[in-house]
Amino acid sequence: MSQNYRLENVGLINREKKISFKFNKKKYYGYEGDTLASALIANGVHLVGRSFKYHRPRGFFGAGVDEPYAIVQLYRNNETDPNVRATEQELFEGLEAESVNCWPNVNFDIGAINNFLRMFFPAGFYYKTFMWPRSFWYKIYEPIIRKAAGFGKASIKHDKERYEHKYEYCDILVTGSGPSGLASAYAAAKNGAKVIIAEEKSRYGGSLLTSDVNIGNQSGLQWAEKIITELKTMPNVIVKNRSQVFGYYDHNMLVMSERVSDHLPNTEKYTPKQRLWYIRAKEVVISSGSIERPLVFGNNDTPGVMLSSAAKDYIKLYGVLPGKKPIIFTNNDSGYETAIAFEKNGIDPIVLDTRRNPKSAIITEAQNLNINIKFSYVVVAAKGYKKVRSADIAEISDDKKTLGKIENITCDCICVSGFWTPTIHLASQSGNKTVFKKEIDAFIPSKPKQNETTVGSAKGIFTLKETLNDAFENGFNLSNKITNKNIRQSAPSVVEKITSSHDKFWCVPLPKGKNYKRFLDFQNDVAVSDIELALREGFRSIEHVKRYTTLGMATDQGKTSNLNGLQLVSEVEKKVVPQVGHTTFRPPYTPVTIGAIVGREIGKHSKPTRKSPMHSWHEKNNAVFVDAGVWLRPRYYKQGNESLFQASKREAKNVRQNVGLCDVTTLGKIDVKGPDSAEFLNRVYTNAWLKLPIGKARYGVMLREDGIVMDDGTTTRISENHYHMTTTTAQAANVLSHLEYYLQIVWPELNVNVVSSTEQWAGAAIAGPKSRKLLEKLFPDKDVSNEGLPFMGYTEGNFFGCNARIFRISFSGELAYEVNVESNNGYFMWEKIMEVGKEFNIQPYGTEALSTLRIEMGHVAGSELDGRTIPFDNSLEGLVSKKKDFIGKRSLEKTAYTAPDRQKLVGVVPLDKKTSIPEGSYLVKDANAKLPNPKLGHVSASCWSVEYDNPFSLAILKDGKNMIGKKLFALSPLKNKKIPVKIVSSHYVDPEGKRVRS
Amino acid sequence: MLYIKCPYCGLRSQNEFAYGGDATIKRPNLNQEVSNTEWDNFVYLRKSPRGRHLEFWHHISGCRQWIKVDRDTATHEIFNTYKANEEV
Amino acid sequence: MQKYSVFSLIKNAFSNHKNWDVAWKDPSPKSEYDVIIIGGGGHGLATAYYLAKEHNITNVAIIEKGWIGGGNVGRNTTIIRSNYMHDENGLFSEFGMDLWRKMSQDLNYNVMFSPRGIINLAHSDAQMNAYSRRGNSMRLNGIDAVLLNREEIKKIIPMADFSENVRFPIFGGLMQPSAGTARHDAVAWGYARQADSMGVDIIQNCEVIGFDVSNGQIKGIRTSKGNIKAKKIGLCVAGSTNILAEKLNMTLPIETHLLQACVSEPIKPILDNVVTFGAGHFYCSQSDKGEMVMGGDLDGYNSYSQRGNLPTLQHVLTEGIAMFPFLSKLKMLRTWGGIMDMSMDGSPIIDKTHIKGLYLNCGWCYGGFKATPASGWTFAHTIAQDRVHKLNAGYSLNRFSTGHLIDEKGLGTKTWIS
Repeated sequence: MSQNYRLENVGLINREKKISFKFNKKKYYGYEGDTLASALIANGVHLVGRSFKYHRPRGFFGAGVDEPYAIVQLYRNNETDPNVRATEQELFEGLEAESVNCWPNVNFDIGAINNFLRMFFPAGFYYKTFMWPRSFWYKIYEPIIRKAAGFGKASIKHDKERYEHKYEYCDILVTGSGPSGLASAYAAAKNGAKVIIAEEKSRYGGSLLTSDVNIGNQSGLQWAEKIITELKTMPNVIVKNRSQVFGYYDHNMLVMSERVSDHLPNTEKYTPKQRLWYIRAKEVVISSGSIERPLVFGNNDTPGVMLSSAAKDYIKLYGVLPGKKPIIFTNNDSGYETAIAFEKNGIDPIVLDTRRNPKSAIITEAQNLNINIKFSYVVVAAKGYKKVRSADIAEISDDKKTLGKIENITCDCICVSGFWTPTIHLASQSGNKTVFKKEIDAFIPSKPKQNETTVGSAKGIFTLKETLNDAFENGFNLSNKITNKNIRQSAPSVVEKITSSHDKFWCVPLPKGKNYKRFLDFQNDVAVSDIELALREGFRSIEHVKRYTTLGMATDQGKTSNLNGLQLVSEVEKKVVPQVGHTTFRPPYTPVTIGAIVGREIGKHSKPTRKSPMHSWHEKNNAVFVDAGVWLRPRYYKQGNESLFQASKREAKNVRQNVGLCDVTTLGKIDVKGPDSAEFLNRVYTNAWLKLPIGKARYGVMLREDGIVMDDGTTTRISENHYHMTTTTAQAANVLSHLEYYLQIVWPELNVNVVSSTEQWAGAAIAGPKSRKLLEKLFPDKDVSNEGLPFMGYTEGNFFGCNARIFRISFSGELAYEVNVESNNGYFMWEKIMEVGKEFNIQPYGTEALSTLRIEMGHVAGSELDGRTIPFDNSLEGLVSKKKDFIGKRSLEKTAYTAPDRQKLVGVVPLDKKTSIPEGSYLVKDANAKLPNPKLGHVSASCWSVEYDNPFSLAILKDGKNMIGKKLFALSPLKNKKIPVKIVSSHYVDPEGKRVRS
Repeated sequence: MLYIKCPYCGLRSQNEFAYGGDATIKRPNLNQEVSNTEWDNFVYLRKSPRGRHLEFWHHISGCRQWIKVDRDTATHEIFNTYKANEEV
Repeated sequence: MQKYSVFSLIKNAFSNHKNWDVAWKDPSPKSEYDVIIIGGGGHGLATAYYLAKEHNITNVAIIEKGWIGGGNVGRNTTIIRSNYMHDENGLFSEFGMDLWRKMSQDLNYNVMFSPRGIINLAHSDAQMNAYSRRGNSMRLNGIDAVLLNREEIKKIIPMADFSENVRFPIFGGLMQPSAGTARHDAVAWGYARQADSMGVDIIQNCEVIGFDVSNGQIKGIRTSKGNIKAKKIGLCVAGSTNILAEKLNMTLPIETHLLQACVSEPIKPILDNVVTFGAGHFYCSQSDKGEMVMGGDLDGYNSYSQRGNLPTLQHVLTEGIAMFPFLSKLKMLRTWGGIMDMSMDGSPIIDKTHIKGLYLNCGWCYGGFKATPASGWTFAHTIAQDRVHKLNAGYSLNRFSTGHLIDEKGLGTKTWIS
């Protein structure tokens, strides 16, 4: 198809490079430099989609970020992106796009039936109906509503694009490259400031790209090009296009999204699709410009109705005619620029100006061009369904209440201009309390909250001369504050047309007997009548109106609708706009790709993975790993077709019978040093620490101040003032912070330092009756006899040339040792132990066997120390000193904690000695009691006892100490289990602890 | 993102720090008679004011020092920062 | 009061919807009420409604500083569930579930309660065990819960990450099929409309400046619209509790924190359930508009500001993509924040106070929305009868002294860690 609406020799597109693309499966051509929107308009395509609620036809309304409805499904590089604004998407070779929210297609959309029933679907209609019968809401009505809603489709394929983050610091961040942005960036950069200037579009220059002005004897466009070219050469300036600063956060942190590859057919290797910039700026210049406001009239959502500035952009930037019989409907001088642009390209527009008798240079120019201008005229309604075919127009009285005789004139587009709304989002996000400026009927920033300065039309300055003067001044002053330099640039001379003031008019009254929908929010189908209904029903605050009608809650976030909505509310409520106030602006300014926000932390890298130095050995030996926080630990070492259950049983049995080896590197290790270390430990742990001799380890329990057990572990006195503390894997980081808190804040008088040494040591637990024999071979010159290295003893040795620490501690309940070597020797140590241990039938064991061993010994771990239990609950009361004070001690006096029937750790064995009790089961008296069935306790951990070859569980049971020997039921309704059980001691194996001391 | 001046390291972004709560709460001394009310007040009660709040932060990905920050809980403005044992 | 129905909608369509009444009036305060509820959020409005409906107390005013429903009832992620481990929470919430199921008909306002089910994903056997403990507790309390394995989860949410390139693979999950979502604003408006129709005065833009207490008895409040006397006053101002408590010289076991949430642009239906990530804090559902509604961690420092920072959202969305990789292509449309009463054990307080006639309802942490009906119902009972109901007996203020804490997460007093 040919580009029937393309002008010759106009625009900034590259006509040398023709680009083919597909829309709704049909092939078209455009040029490099086009957006999808401009290329479609060039091809005469005006119908892009359907609206949210009524499924009314939708075309193009804007030419950029403010576009409320030209949303498409984009296909690029074998992937698909939902909800892409056609006005922002640059054309690339092979681009494919489809209309959204229509079925079977955009021309014939079944959903449009809603449009005919629209009288029954006013704002909030769904709150008033769909209530009967009760079950129908979820089963019938809602699924239909859900299906009709939404726009694009999400692909459930993994996103293979790359997104990156970048952190940057600068003196001055300039957000927009229009005249005010260029001028302030230039003035600041020349004065030595480190500047970042960001432009959301591909082209720099903002309004200078299309305005008919002269700066320093050049066209505005040429001046913009000159400035940007110079800025690009300066080493202290970063110039970024396709980059939008979308969020202004605390302490002058701004976030910008750079669309690095979205305009290309493919993302090149090693480059991202998008890059997110975190920019900490000393000063921020907000030069975000302004957005044209629509005028509101009947059926103003018909394709072909568009912003007058957008029409001008299409003509001047892209060489595309939005129509060949245009009406320009305006309340200010801006519309004339568009009219002149049409006229100069051979198209005769008709201008309807709501004003009675405005005078200005540009009006005169239009009149001199013989443009047909009708003053005090309005468009009453657009006619046509999928495209504007004609317009009902009428004269309007001076009080704007009465319409004259309605005439119908043929047209194919209606360009509207209701004056300009400053883009105050960033200033408002920064915390700036905006103020309403009556002269422009819009809000502008007031006193800055953070280091932000708004310039140009973003603060309501609409003449170029004033804009440049102000921006040069601000650029200099802000840079001067930072650089202390005084290199001042003078603002260039400006030639521009002086404009006359706009008409405070924005909504055309309904003609008698007509009930046209006059839309405010085009995407969400919010019309004037909806706002009126909301107000009538008592939804009077602007937030209520917004929520009830969904005004401004569409993907364009109300960029073109909010202010008109406010005007309407203030009119009906008979308040002035500032009393009504605007809703809060929050980041992002425009929607940001979630992938870009997340960056590279995806898939396997969504969280770090920590591995012990022996990890590769485990891998080679068929370890099946388990996540322990961010650590990977061997859960079991699979032999042949073994199941988890079989393997863990084998491994645990081997520990009980021979000797096993377990990687305990992941345990937290903290070096505690200093003369007051013993006193410190004495305050941190519940038990006594003042008399621990050098070369001895002790088990300790620490509490939070609320009396709840925080962690447990052994701490060893390495030398006079040096202790080696171990923590659980899960709590390692918390315990270190906890210790630092007390040392630095609560007891700064203690001369103690702590540092994490987790990563310095590789640890191997050697456990089992044959462990001493093995140790003798590993350390042939050490006395590791029961006397030489008794239970809870510590010594240092030489492990085949490596320094080693040897601890005689046991978690398994067997005779056991733990050997630590420096991390880089960990692999060597492990292999060597396995090699030497062969003759004792050594086997590695994983966390599952470790669990089994500790459970049947009645040792508590994470499932008991769950942040809700006190020492007594875990049968650790023996470790709670009555003589000294320690962290959390005072809380243990609470009535609930000292109750005679307080819960306590017990053992549980099924009566049939066969049925395993699922973890998370509850113990109850009556298995068949009516619900809620009173719970006496819960099963915290279960194993298959390798000692007795039957199931064994630990439970925390109310009045546990008096329940030993009682019969109860363990219930797991989730697993449909009712198991008769007997309560036994939690020390199921070796209750006297002979083995560890043997 | 907050910009916090660590008294030891200088201005650093918030993501280097961990929060530590109200810095005006004093732990009762060890080995001292403490009434139930006093103790519960220490463990559980917080003024949590709207406005200036003296609070602990821990420079956990930095020098690992606990510091005090005088911050407005409504605006997030930081007025000053102190070392943990500095009197404010 | 006009009855809302499809028939009234059709009837009104033919008069261009010009004859709808106001949903609630906007009266000036009277000089005295039997009960004043401070806070026109979900809980306050529900309390007033149940005072009128269940206890026939209609000389009631709701005093709201801004506009009703402007706080957390309009700022949440609309999840409704009763999947708690502790009996106090489970039984209370399940009572609430029953009120949710009947709410649209009860209020003659479609609050769009949809029992679309909530799934908590588990990423290890240890987590499956912890979920079993919670799920079994639910079942023994008469609450529905099912434990699902990986394959069963995959059937329900195939778009979750079941690939090899995943840091924390999905092992299974706990599902409460009867849990769901509702339209948050409608809840506030529905309660307001009914309370108003039974005689409750809804007074907006009225700030409480102080309290009148004499001889340990509450007498009234001073407001920006004048002094108002009352025999009983209920405090229902999540997020602002500490500000009002200060005026009463009370210090509470509560800290105020910011929780952010966000929505994506609307897409065609892809997710029917509410799903939570088990290897972090992220939850997600899809609204009837098609937006993915997402939330996660607190911003992590005391805050009364309804503005959050991006690093928290980045962290939350990282977990989002880890759970649902398809989110990567979507765009974040809107973010917002709500200020939370974080109590020291993560559970709420509904109780009498040491001041006679003053009642406290606070500490909802991030679980306030789902509790709206049950909270209103029990608080109304507590105020009307001057004694707690057995459903809220556990939510006492003195549990922090006695040690009968209700800590679902086991994190204790570090309220900012979620």
